[in-house]
Parts: sequence; structure tokens; C-alpha cells
Amino acid sequence: MTASTRTARALQVVSRKRGLRWRLRRYSLLGSVYGAAVTIFYTLFFLIPFGTAIWLSFQNWDFLTDPRFVGTRNFAKALRDDYFWSALKVTLTFSVVEISVGVSLALLLALMLDQMKGRWQNLFLSLYYLPVITPGVVSIYLWRWMYRPTGGAFNTVLASFGLPQQQFLNSNSQALWAITAFVIWANVGGAAVILLAGMNDVPQHLYEAARLDGAGFWRVFFRITMPLIRPVLAYQLVVSVIGTVQMFDVFFLMGGPGFSTRTLSLYTYQLGFQTLNLGYGAAVSLIIFLMLLVATVVQLQRYQVTWEY
Amino acid sequence: MVAQTIGRTGQRQSAVRRLFTSGRWIQWFVGLLLATFSLAMFYPFLWLIFSSFKTGADIVSVPVSLLPREWTLSAYRMVLDPNRANLPRAYVNSIVVATATVVAILATSSLGGYVFARLNFPGRRYLFYFILSTTMVPFLTLLIPLYIVMKYLRLLNSLFGLWVPALFSSFGIFLCRQFIYGIPRDLYEAAKVDGSGDFEIWRRIILPLTKPVLSVLAIFNFLGSFNSFLWPLVVLNDESKMTLPLILRRMADRFGGTDYQGVMAGSVLVAIPPLVVFLIFQRNFIKGIALTGMKA
Repeated sequence: MTASTRTARALQVVSRKRGLRWRLRRYSLLGSVYGAAVTIFYTLFFLIPFGTAIWLSFQNWDFLTDPRFVGTRNFAKALRDDYFWSALKVTLTFSVVEISVGVSLALLLALMLDQMKGRWQNLFLSLYYLPVITPGVVSIYLWRWMYRPTGGAFNTVLASFGLPQQQFLNSNSQALWAITAFVIWANVGGAAVILLAGMNDVPQHLYEAARLDGAGFWRVFFRITMPLIRPVLAYQLVVSVIGTVQMFDVFFLMGGPGFSTRTLSLYTYQLGFQTLNLGYGAAVSLIIFLMLLVATVVQLQRYQVTWEY
Repeated sequence: MVAQTIGRTGQRQSAVRRLFTSGRWIQWFVGLLLATFSLAMFYPFLWLIFSSFKTGADIVSVPVSLLPREWTLSAYRMVLDPNRANLPRAYVNSIVVATATVVAILATSSLGGYVFARLNFPGRRYLFYFILSTTMVPFLTLLIPLYIVMKYLRLLNSLFGLWVPALFSSFGIFLCRQFIYGIPRDLYEAAKVDGSGDFEIWRRIILPLTKPVLSVLAIFNFLGSFNSFLWPLVVLNDESKMTLPLILRRMADRFGGTDYQGVMAGSVLVAIPPLVVFLIFQRNFIKGIALTGMKA
């Protein structure tokens, strides 16, 4: 890194001496064209939308009349808006439970898969990965069907064990848990595959050394496996936080009664495309962005600090 | 006494250790646990497949049974009837969009990786960091304004609107750049001496060498595009332009009440292309995830 910057700096000095024409010749035409294309693309589909989001968050706009500047009122409104707080609560509850249960389960699965031989490992892995491959809409309608209170698959299973019938998605108190269970089913295979890949990267000689030292299974797990897959685990956590907070289709298509399962993502969508409160929708979406940014930075920092030993 | 206890736990520990390291039955036990779990994971798919062969009366009968009382293809006939659902059309739309997305992303990522790793042009470093930083902004934040941009570009309610905003992939460019850094310079320095241009070098040398990364990018972007729901929901209005997930939602609204077997049959048909891709490239999947940490 330092060597390359040093050469780059040396080149800069040389080029300054040789003048502008020499420097222009060092620029690649292909690179410049690509750079220009990338700049145009990201201006159109990133910078302008992102700038618009920030601009919109200070406006009142319903898509029909002219936008009206309202200062920071949209953000102040969010703080007083009960719907916003309920959506935030639903989002956080869902995210925390899905991630803690999902990642623990994935870790357990990866640990068990690690004990298996190649062919079996592949077979199980593929089976766990099926829900990740299946289009979300397909599995959502499938689970909605299985969650039906009368004659649904889950209630049939409960009945066969003599357990009471449940309302699942029709109940205020159960809908969010039903959705969380579904999302865990849909995502756990993906997390397990990533964690297993992390475990496969742990150098074999460390395990052998530990075995020679007489370390037991759990000791090896906590002292070798866990510390060494920490970066992968941190990555998985960050990706899961971003994924669960932004998750949309489940809540849109499987939603429970009232506001019991309305997340921030669904709220943003409704503000933007159903109640046409674009300014406020943009403000809410920016709050989500800031939350995710803070969460990501904090998580990455925490894991890096503890990892460097 | 204490020493004895220590000795005994030491012995027990080594016994446990032996079970975990060399005992074969522990592997059987773990295998059994994993197999049970895979059964639980697969159980919903059994309902999906069997329900799609049921009759309308069968699927709502209580108590419900997993297997159809009477096997029938009527649900499939129902969803393939163009007067009742636009499924064949949606198939074409989905495949067109997914193919266009994948081709575009492979070309721009591979070229971008090369450009950012090896070529010199003004603002190269800042542009790259900028592209990386865009991944920090969630799609949800861009959703409403992106819709407005698409309106101005007149790309709403058209298939272009689905894949044009996905022409470049920040993650793809980043991945290819990392990979191309690992390719020894000598491999194409010779071509340069021979007088090949940058583009020629990319096409003849870099493109074939980045195949492993590109195949991973292709698989995951194909699935991502094929399965995506929110963006098509926002962009498309006409039923003739809808992709498979949207059509499935239409079918659920239409048949959901009394003909849920139609929804199931539609679901099976919608799930087939991604599953076929998965089965064909199964080995690349696992390798690809290990390589990139990516998932659909």
C-alpha cells in the first residue's frame, strides 16, 4: 500500500515535470469513458434520488399540488406521531428477535454441518438453502395458507397433538411472531451457509494443536472457532440488520390485523404511494437510513476492536 | 480428594473429547438431528406441491389432508388459461428482465473492476470510494425519489424501468476489482507490449479470467431480479407488463378466496426457474457464497 502510493507520488512528480500532454497520455481512454458513464449513471440513479430524498424531507408534497417548504416539521412530526413509534417498535422487535434466534440457529446448524462429511453436508445444505432460493412471494402465500385458523396446516398439526387451535395471522398478539417464524425459516439456510464457509476457513492445524493440548469440544468452539469466525459473524449480523429493517414484502402481503405488523418500511411505502404524503415519507426513510448507518458503524467497530488480538 | 476429582473430570473430558473427535456414532446422531431439521424445513414445500394438485372442494375441506383426495391438473389448467391469469406473459417478462439485468451487470462489473484496478483516469480513486459509499444508503430511502426520477425519464410502467436502474452494481464492481487485483500483471503486460488496447486486453484476457466471480454474480443477480417484488410493484401497472411475483399476487387476489389451489399451482410454476438455476449451479452456489459472502 505505502509502496504503491510512493510510486504513484513519484509518477506524479515525474508527470508534473513532463507537462500536461504526457499526463494526458497516461490516462486511459477506456478508463475515462467508463468513469464518465459511471458518473452519469450514479448521478441519475443515486445522487439525484438521494438529494431529492433530503430535499423532500423538508417539504410537504402530495404529488399533485406544488411542494411547500415546511422546514424541519416533518422530522418533528415523526417524534410526535404514534404510528411512527408503533412502526419503529414493530421493526425493532422483529429485527432483534429474527436476528438473535435466526443467527443462533444458523450457528448451531453450521456447527453440526461442520461435523458431517462432504456429500451429506452438501445435501443438508441444499435443503436448508431451498427457502432462500424460492421467490419470497411464493413462500409468503404458502405460509399464509398454512397459517389459516381453520384447516391450516399448522393448526392441523396442533390438533393432532391435542393442542388448542391458534389464530396466528388473525391475532393482534400472534401475527408478528408468526411472521418472524416465517422469516427465520426463509433466511436461516443462507446464514448457515455463510457461517459454515467461515468455519471452513479456520486453519486445520489450529484444531490439531488444540486436540494435542487436550482441549474439549466446547473449549475448541469458544477459544478457536468463535474468535476466528468473528468477522464472518459480524458481517452476517450487519447484513441481517440491514435486511430485516428493510424487509417489505412479508409485511405487505402477510400483514396482521390493524397496525400490529406495520413496520417502518411498510409505513414509508404507504406514505409515499398510498396516502401520498411524500415529504413525510422521505423524512421517515431518512430516519431509517440514519438508524442503519449508526447500527452498521457501531457493529463493525465493536467487532473489529475485539477481533484484533 | 480435590486431585481425585480433577483427575476424574479430566478423564471424563477426554472421553467426551474422544466422542467428538473420533466417535462415529456422534456423527450419526448429528446427522439424524440435521435430517430431522431438514424435514421441518421441507415440510411447507410438501403442502405447496400436493395442494397444487387438489380440487377446489378438496383444498378447503376440514380436516385438511396433506395428500389430495383426488389428483387433478385443473389448477394448472386454470392458471395457464390466458383469460384467467397472465402467467405465460409474465414468464417472458421476468426472463427478459432477469437476462438483461445479468448481462448488463456482468459487463459493467467486469469492465469496472478492470478499470478501477488497473487503468488510470482522472478521479479514479474518489469515484471508486464514492461507488462503495452508495451501498450504505438503503434502497428504501431511495424508493420514493427514484420513482419520481423514473417518472421524469418516462421509464414507469415499462420493463426498462426494472433493469435500467440496475445497469451498474456497486457490489459487482467492488468484487471484480478485488479479484482483478489478484491477477498477476505479467499476464496482460505482454499483451500491452504487443500493442493491444485496453479494451482488447479486457476482452481477451481479463474477461475469461474473471469467470469464477462472474458466474457467482450472474447466479445471484438472476435470482435477485427474478424474485424481486417491491421495485416492480412500484414501477409496473399494466398486467401485460408484470413479472412473475406480481402476477402471483394478482392471482392470489383473484383465486385466493375459493380457488387457493390455483395460487398453489401458480406458485409452483413461479418457483421452478429459480430452483432449476439452483440445481444446475448448486456447486457454484456454495463455492460462490464462500468466495463472496453473498446471498440471494
